[in-house]
Amino acid sequence: MAVKYFAAIGIGSTVTDMKIFEWGGRKPAREVENVSTRMNLGLDVYQTGRIGSRHVEELCTVLRSFRQIMQGYKVDAYRICATSAFRESRNMLILRDYVEKQTGLRIEVLSNSEQRFMDYKSIASVSSEFETIIQNAAAIVDIGSSSMQISLFDKDKLITTQNIRIGSVTTREHLAPLMKNSEHFEKMVVELLNHELAGFAKLYQKDRQIKNLIVIGGNLLELMRQYRSESREITAVTKNQFQEIYENVIGLNQDEISERFHISFDQTGVMVPSAIYCRALMENLGAETLWLPDYSICDGMAYDYGVKNGYIQNSHNFEEDIIAAARSIAKRYKCSQAHIRNLEEIALLVFDRMKKIHGMGKRERLLLQISIILHNCGKFISLEDVSECAFNIIMATEIIGLSHAEREMIAYTVKFNTSRFLSYEELSVSTALTKSQYMAVAKMTAILRMVNALDRTHQQKCKNVTVTLREHELKLTVASQADLSLEIGTFQEKAEFFEEIFHVHPVFKQRKQI
Amino acid sequence: MAEFMFDRPEYYTNRECSWLAFNSRVLSEARDKSLPLLERLKFLSITASNLDEFFMIRVASLKDMVHAKYTKKDIAGMTPQEQLAVIGEKAHELVASQYSTYNRSLLPLMKQSGIEVVTEHEKMTKKQKEYADQYFHDNVYPVLTPMAMDPSRPFPLVRNKTLNIGALISKKGEKGKAEFATVQVPSVLPRIVRLPDTDEGHKCVILLEQLIERNIDALFLNYNVVAACPYRIMRNADLSYDEDEAADLLKEIEKQLKKRQWGEVIRLEIEEKMDPKLLKILKAEFAVKDEDIYKINGPLDLTFLMKLYGLEGMDEYRYSSYKPQPVPGLQDGEDIFTQIRKRDILLHHPYMTFEPVVQFVKQAAADPDVLAIKQTLYRVSGNSPIVAALAQAAENGKQVSVLVELKARFDEENNIIWAKMLEKAGCHVIYGLLGLKTHSKITLVVRREEDGIRRYVHLGTGNYNDSTAKLYTDCGILTCSEQIGEDATAVFNMLSGYSEPKHWNRLVLAPIWMRSRFMHLIERETQHAKAGEPARIIAKMNSLCDKEIIAALYEASAAGVQIDLIIRGICCLKTGIARISENIRVRSIVGNFLEHARIFYFQNGGDEEFYMASADWMPRNLDKRVEILFPVESQELREQVRHILQIQLEDNVKAHVLQPDGTYEKIDKRGKLLLCAQDYFCEEAVRTAQVESEVQKSHVFVPAEAMDE
Repeated sequence: MAVKYFAAIGIGSTVTDMKIFEWGGRKPAREVENVSTRMNLGLDVYQTGRIGSRHVEELCTVLRSFRQIMQGYKVDAYRICATSAFRESRNMLILRDYVEKQTGLRIEVLSNSEQRFMDYKSIASVSSEFETIIQNAAAIVDIGSSSMQISLFDKDKLITTQNIRIGSVTTREHLAPLMKNSEHFEKMVVELLNHELAGFAKLYQKDRQIKNLIVIGGNLLELMRQYRSESREITAVTKNQFQEIYENVIGLNQDEISERFHISFDQTGVMVPSAIYCRALMENLGAETLWLPDYSICDGMAYDYGVKNGYIQNSHNFEEDIIAAARSIAKRYKCSQAHIRNLEEIALLVFDRMKKIHGMGKRERLLLQISIILHNCGKFISLEDVSECAFNIIMATEIIGLSHAEREMIAYTVKFNTSRFLSYEELSVSTALTKSQYMAVAKMTAILRMVNALDRTHQQKCKNVTVTLREHELKLTVASQADLSLEIGTFQEKAEFFEEIFHVHPVFKQRKQI
Repeated sequence: MAEFMFDRPEYYTNRECSWLAFNSRVLSEARDKSLPLLERLKFLSITASNLDEFFMIRVASLKDMVHAKYTKKDIAGMTPQEQLAVIGEKAHELVASQYSTYNRSLLPLMKQSGIEVVTEHEKMTKKQKEYADQYFHDNVYPVLTPMAMDPSRPFPLVRNKTLNIGALISKKGEKGKAEFATVQVPSVLPRIVRLPDTDEGHKCVILLEQLIERNIDALFLNYNVVAACPYRIMRNADLSYDEDEAADLLKEIEKQLKKRQWGEVIRLEIEEKMDPKLLKILKAEFAVKDEDIYKINGPLDLTFLMKLYGLEGMDEYRYSSYKPQPVPGLQDGEDIFTQIRKRDILLHHPYMTFEPVVQFVKQAAADPDVLAIKQTLYRVSGNSPIVAALAQAAENGKQVSVLVELKARFDEENNIIWAKMLEKAGCHVIYGLLGLKTHSKITLVVRREEDGIRRYVHLGTGNYNDSTAKLYTDCGILTCSEQIGEDATAVFNMLSGYSEPKHWNRLVLAPIWMRSRFMHLIERETQHAKAGEPARIIAKMNSLCDKEIIAALYEASAAGVQIDLIIRGICCLKTGIARISENIRVRSIVGNFLEHARIFYFQNGGDEEFYMASADWMPRNLDKRVEILFPVESQELREQVRHILQIQLEDNVKAHVLQPDGTYEKIDKRGKLLLCAQDYFCEEAVRTAQVESEVQKSHVFVPAEAMDE
């Protein structure tokens, strides 16, 4: 393989950076360039709802010079991802269009859940230690300027990710006018956060002790610099060490922090609120070690690109995380696990056999699987209006790693499982899904409806299903001694829609063993 | 630590006094009878230009402090006022010593050697007078602009550092007060005018001002010239840039340059014989105090002696010029990148040629695999081949980033020209960081090779100036170490305005990290000494005047660390203070080449570390400039660097050793094998180059033989 170069640019809330990666050189993978510049877009958006024109121009200048550097390296490909500040800026589409035209670069704006997933991938890709940390209960907390994202891991799997709408800048701006002194400030922040965390604990943490707290954002790494060690990929700070620094920093103003810790002034703004949050989190979660990874979202982009092009091996199955997150949502809404497993098995078998016909890829397979996992969640709210309830639950629940559009596709697939399938014209009134996304919804719905019929009774009578495709006939053979009359009846009903979509006639066969 | 206070003012020498002592060491070269005549003239000339610069910068800034009623004491506990008093006294002594050297030693010696400087125009022969008058009328008279002062015409502008002749004139036939007039000795004409040889065949020269004095009547036709005498002024030239306000740094500097000629007068030099009335007028008009007036027994501004140095046909009175030798192991004609890949290369200028550095940039400019070249330029020579190569590289489509430091003192005009030219060629020119001079010397070449990106870096202690590289002793390394390459990339990103990297692999940068690193390195030796291990520091630099560093060295010495300092110029550290600096030795090498390299050695309990840097141990280097400290990592190079330090420590010819009383003394040579480090390195370089070229030439096929039993 010839040596390949890939440039990744992240437009973050406080930092815009670029990394250039090399694959297939002297080392299998190498970072050959890393430039970053501080630009507090987040503060603009928080204060005025949009990125100010001064920063927009600055961003264009920076991106143009990044582009030059990229061209200097003659990169083979690039990717630019913008995160929360950009996403939440008013008139984001206009902003994006302007910046793209000014710089000649294409910008992807990540949804919150995609952004978190990218963060998570980035951390995992820069450190093999991460895998070990999440073997036990662990939380990744991103202290942002206006919100805080908490993702919970247990036994190597992501359990949930939640966004709490309080952040370091908002706290500073809201509470600073109310504060009497620094102790008072601390007290107010802790009160505010404890309330939020109590709710989180009740729903998700339950009785787990989360020993490892991974904090990103909030500029805490600079403060804890002394604990950085060459032998560790991620800086680890014990509870006591943290407490020591905390006590030193809590009463200081920005100038004093900058002076005492040798940190540039513009990085010190959010350190005190972040440190207070961090301590409150450690107490609430029962954390014993604080991990402060040093990463950039560019690392995650490089990982994606590397895996996609086969330059690097997938070390951690990130799709499993998305599935695990979906399963924990299903569990929360008391969906029948056995039923889901049964359907998943059959549906994915059908999907794989029909590949040539439906033409969908790996990503849609994942979406189908999640649709199946979540297809019954509406029952938790109401047995009468299942499809609408399920739709609303899915649309209101963040699933890490999925874009907003993908989540909407899942929500519609689940909805159409039990309600009338709408034409694109009807649907487009209330959705921004594209025609091709709509087609995927149609195909996934057809599969979901049909396989769902096979476990009509939720008794998993249809195990050991074999699926064969011959000409225009899809044969599902079930080895079962049970009475399948109900299933066969429903199957015939649902098969119609399947045939309409794929022009393949599904046949259901029961093979009774003697 | 509690036992001794290492930062007491009495443990430190004032930096200006130390600088004056340095200039005296240079003067001692001019007085050294073992040197050829013209070399001695050169050293005398250097002391004069050194002193000029010293006044313009240091004295001027002390004057500013006094005006501003700034009374903060210096490292040695002296107020600016006190310092000026001491400087005045010592500067007068130095000047007296310069002219006694000139008059008593050099003039007679010149005459003996066949060069006559006609000190007074009256002493010319008839033939010479005729020649001189003709020369005056043809060449000098047309460019003279005499200016008179009377109630209707104010006192004219007299430019900084120019030589002038002041005169008192009175109208012919009128009895009245004499008026003041002045004429600049034109700087466009050579100061030295060659006269016809004497009958004995001696070369004869006279100074331009003598010719003007001789013909001064011709300038003031309707006047009688009552008195005429040369004088020269020095103005405050310290530029202060307001970087926050200057929207465009370039413009600001151009503006400042125009302003420079208008500074306050801080020194007035006159010839001793000047008429008291004339002096009174000058004194009043320039508002100078008695102590700032230098009455001189001889020609003003001895820098003209440098021109005599180049006199043709006098080779026996000069050192034969040394030709820098090829770098050992570096073959001409072979691709330099291939050679760097084989091993790191140490360059020791001027003993070894600067050519590989030029080649490094030149080959990079032409190499199709090179993606980018990045370089810092501080002081560039006229017609610099490096600048030309960078422009060429840009035209060849490479990414070329050049940091041109506009704030290099006295070189601003020069630098602006290069900067504009490079921009035109398509280079990305960066004008440094606000508030910080970029003093580091680093070049980065990024190459895309078959097995990926590889970075080649040159790091040096001296500027990228092919002319001074023949006169200054400097070191540099060429390497393609991945870690240093990464750091070099980060340096240029930082200089381009991007955030500093999260961590550095090998390089240490000022103004943020270097001071603490040096402190750590020194303190580490202290710890080793306290633990009873051998501990040693050898540091070579141009100047040492940082209080914190000196205090750390005192503490180290007190703990038993053996410290050898090789400091050419200012040294504010004192040796021989009981229980404080008994283990510190300071030597200064002043020789034919200007010692300029910065090398640092720390024994580190046996795990030795060698560094080189662009920085001295001065506050301005450590706190106000972008400087780079780089480690010497390859074992082979470390041995070479050790050798350099070793030889410099063994020098007993050009080395002056700092005494506890603050004076410098040469080493007693009796019974010792003489070793002059600079000569030694010259000879060594020639020898090595010869051996190499023989090895290259000879193709001897050695037959294989059975091994000895």
